[in-house]
Amino acid sequence: MKKYEAIVILNPNLSSKVEEFTKKFEKILVENSFSIKNCEDIGRRQLSYSINNHNKGHYLIFNIEGDPIKLIDVENKIKYDESIIRHLFMSVKEHSEGDSQLFLDSKKNKHEIEDDNETTPKSKDLKTKQDDDALKKDSHQSEDNEGSSENQKEESLTDNTDKEKDDE
Amino acid sequence: MSKYDLPKNFDYKDVNILKQFITETGKIIPARVTGISASNQRKITRYIKIARYLALIPYTDMHK
Repeated sequence: MKKYEAIVILNPNLSSKVEEFTKKFEKILVENSFSIKNCEDIGRRQLSYSINNHNKGHYLIFNIEGDPIKLIDVENKIKYDESIIRHLFMSVKEHSEGDSQLFLDSKKNKHEIEDDNETTPKSKDLKTKQDDDALKKDSHQSEDNEGSSENQKEESLTDNTDKEKDDE
Repeated sequence: MSKYDLPKNFDYKDVNILKQFITETGKIIPARVTGISASNQRKITRYIKIARYLALIPYTDMHK
């Protein structure tokens, strides 16, 4: 028995049929003597690059346990399923406990959308401000490197001019 | 002293962490620049490559 983590990216147009798919997928797994420990439905997410002309994907993460040899059979069945645009099986030492960061992020996004619809604009402003701050921090971090190197250059330049003055 | 706070356990799903270690063009930032421990750098590299395959982070900024 080995522990695996399966990530499946579904066609976003079939988002409404996720339950059907998960049932089908579970059936395939169970037939091949796999046991499902946990299933995370992350939901639709923007892809960083388009896969088969899809810009969004429905992410599902399964924590499964089973026989490595049978995994080939599972993969062969999944390979030709057109509702899956990408999949990955990874062996792990231990299944991660608790919710993954992706799941938490997707939850947060959902809540923000709901909040935007329901709550007063004040909280909205606060949230966007926080986001802005976070963005600023990120940009500062990336700029730090460049900034320091530029400063060094400037310093060296000023040093040279000083020396010239001394020479005069 | 490092400017990166890495948690003890992280993986390819922690996209926000991984994004700190790629350039604007999507390249992995070399260890001599990041200054994190060698084992962490190897982990980061491995996870970035997985996350790229799963379209969580881009390979490049030239994607259409």
